[in-house]
Amino acid sequence: MTSDSVAGPAPALARPASVWRQSPGRVVGHVARTYSLPILLIISVLIYGLWGGGVSAAFNSAASWRNIASGQAVTGVLTLGILLTLTSGNFDLSIGNICGLSAVMTGAAYSRWHLPLVLGLLVGVAIGAAVGGINGYLSTTLRVDPFIITLGTASIILGFVDWYTKGQSIVNGIPHSLLDFGRTNFLGIPEVAWVLGIVALLIYYVLEHTPYGRALHAIGSNRAAAKLVGIRVERTITSAFALTGAFAGVAGILLVAYSGSANPAIGPTFTLTALASAFLGAVSFKVGRLNVPGTIVAIFFLSINIAGLTYAGVQNWITEVFTGLTLILAVALAAVLSKERKAKRSTSTEQTRNPA
Amino acid sequence: MTVLDAGPRTALTVRGLSKTYAGNLALDSLFLQVRPGEIHALLGGNGSGKSTAVKILAGVEAADPGGEIVVGDVAAGVSEWTPVRAHAAGLRFVHQQPAVFPDLTVAENLALGAEFPRGVAGRIDWSSLHARTQNLLDRYQINATPKTPLGLLRAADRSRVAIVRALQDRDDADAGVLVLDEPTAALPDAEVAYLLEALRGYAAAGQTILYISHRLDEVLSVADRVTVLRDGRKVDTVETKGLTESRLIELIVGRPLDRVFAPPIAEVTQDAALSVRGLVGGPLHGVDLTLRKGEVLGIAGLLGSGRSELLRMIFGAQPLDAGAITLEGASYEPTSPDAAMKVGIAYVPEDRQADALLQGCSVRQNLSAGSSSSYFHRLLWRHKQERADSQQSISDFLIRLVSDQQPIETLSGGNQQKVVIARWLWRKPKVLLLDEPTQGVDVAARAEIYQLVRKATTQGTSVILVVSEPEELAHASDRVAILRGGRITSIVDRPIDAHRLTELMNSSEGRP
Repeated sequence: MTSDSVAGPAPALARPASVWRQSPGRVVGHVARTYSLPILLIISVLIYGLWGGGVSAAFNSAASWRNIASGQAVTGVLTLGILLTLTSGNFDLSIGNICGLSAVMTGAAYSRWHLPLVLGLLVGVAIGAAVGGINGYLSTTLRVDPFIITLGTASIILGFVDWYTKGQSIVNGIPHSLLDFGRTNFLGIPEVAWVLGIVALLIYYVLEHTPYGRALHAIGSNRAAAKLVGIRVERTITSAFALTGAFAGVAGILLVAYSGSANPAIGPTFTLTALASAFLGAVSFKVGRLNVPGTIVAIFFLSINIAGLTYAGVQNWITEVFTGLTLILAVALAAVLSKERKAKRSTSTEQTRNPA
Repeated sequence: MTVLDAGPRTALTVRGLSKTYAGNLALDSLFLQVRPGEIHALLGGNGSGKSTAVKILAGVEAADPGGEIVVGDVAAGVSEWTPVRAHAAGLRFVHQQPAVFPDLTVAENLALGAEFPRGVAGRIDWSSLHARTQNLLDRYQINATPKTPLGLLRAADRSRVAIVRALQDRDDADAGVLVLDEPTAALPDAEVAYLLEALRGYAAAGQTILYISHRLDEVLSVADRVTVLRDGRKVDTVETKGLTESRLIELIVGRPLDRVFAPPIAEVTQDAALSVRGLVGGPLHGVDLTLRKGEVLGIAGLLGSGRSELLRMIFGAQPLDAGAITLEGASYEPTSPDAAMKVGIAYVPEDRQADALLQGCSVRQNLSAGSSSSYFHRLLWRHKQERADSQQSISDFLIRLVSDQQPIETLSGGNQQKVVIARWLWRKPKVLLLDEPTQGVDVAARAEIYQLVRKATTQGTSVILVVSEPEELAHASDRVAILRGGRITSIVDRPIDAHRLTELMNSSEGRP
């Protein structure tokens, strides 16, 4: 720091050195770090595509691609939804259960209460939003870590769904239009995958281009400071939980449309996959920070590997192990990368602060 | 005042220490001699090179080739200086926020720095550990038992434990140097004096101490000699006896004190910007206060006098029990920060890390936090506008950084504080509440901050300023209100004398 800067003019701002103008080794390092996940995704595709024999044939077929795309719509919408609460620094461990609950209640709306199509959809989304809102309200008013609250609601939902369905799937009375929606393609892409695309754009817009998204980032970074810049912290967190719940509701409806029934057992299995994808997404693009493009790539990275492994004939339990390992690796890697990024930035600041 | 460096015996000598970061000299052939048993302060602003020097001494940062470090009888070139070597030579380091564990007992905290004494089958020999700890506590005069959980100790005693932990494996106090890197940075005011007293005692017992700090009053009260660094170069080494704070500031900044603090602007109107009547809540028992338009009104009060609470209550961040506030003649109800911001009140909290910075977010996001709705127009975020405003703030506030996209925590303390103040001044507030705006900020950046605050007052902002250092408060304010016993006991007009402020804060004079 120069001593005459008090009265002197503003110092010329050093331009951020563009990565592209640095040595080839550094450029490669930067690309490898920022785009590690897309690169891994491509490598995975190549491996299964060139595996040979039946594996490649099955993997390369258009039907298989559509399967992966529509199969991931449920996980994808769920994961994108949970980005809102995760960005605000809060965990929701009940999203899989909320998704299952919404699926069952949507099914019940048609088969037991004989509601029209649109009302059934509303039931699914509203129940998700309501349960999410309760999660948020309880954790902000009781000041209990949402980790605990949502673990509790997850168990309560599990019990309720079991009692309500007696463990049976709801198959009858689901409107044909909904089932068709789950099976047909638009422009060669499954319609449920279009929903995933729309939700991704929506979440991206909310997180990066609205005051609400900035508020979530601020709360996630420093709750006390967020309050002192005029953000209504409790209200924002509660609404984030409600929105995450609503998207879990949408995922539940997609589950009914895609699988043709409301299976009470399937919902809870999505929680871990969604969390794994969200954290894995933070390893790429905006490294060390949850982000939508990274999340989308992460979802497909996970599903392509699981599909590929399945075609290669591995047993089912391996996919569970794969997801669990990914979750741990992703969280560890995201932590390391974000630290590295901070360290790198701070040395470059140090340099500008010490002009010779 | 320069002291001849050729003393007969030195505890630590450093010769020709240089450090280059990417072509920039952060430290320029430092020469430093520390005498045995003295407290030697190393003083300088942010980026002056004092932290670089400490890192090199600790062996964690490699110096440029050519220098030499001598500790007692051990001499070594800088290229072979490692953490292990530094430790073996007798250098002991205690850092700003020492790694102590509040939930563990004093004995456990000390044992973690050395080793647990073992008994049969490797079990911890608690009785010998406690005896050893008691011995250390007696020797270093810490008021605790070995079994006291560290968290129950007063803050300064926790720092003392950290110092003892660093020194415990050395029985011979004459050799070696204790290096304290900003030991008071995390301590409340009341605890600082208590810690300094302990340091004087250790020095009197023969311990050599190298004391790194940017707090002038501490350096003057505790150190025997002080070496001042500026821009990586040593300015001088001087005796502290007879040295004044303003002379020391001159050495650090390189120009006289009257040019460091901005001159007050005379045109303060008599119109009230903010008036507070009968404010009751927490430690406040009926505060009456009028802030005139365009003035900087200082609040002088001891720790716990309620000076921070007063600001928080005006900003709606803390509930009040009774009282009326009017803002430019209109009644104002402080219900929440949100409501306060809407009517044009801004607040810079005391604890920057805990209450102001959005860690992990970019500088740009930190600047626009609190104004985000103004960037949202017809469902679109105006990124270009945000970027332009951010660049404007950075050049207005002389914030030194590489890019406004870098995370806020990579900036130096002074620059972080400028970001926080810029965040609020951008909103052109009617009333700006500043709580210790220069904490952890070096003298040069401090001057810049006050200059910016002064500039804002010419543009219609009125300021309430809480600063615990009377000297600084006297320089920066137009008037100072004394807060004592939960009430404003008197108002001091210019010329403001720092000693008078200290008297008024402490005495019961003028009390209703």
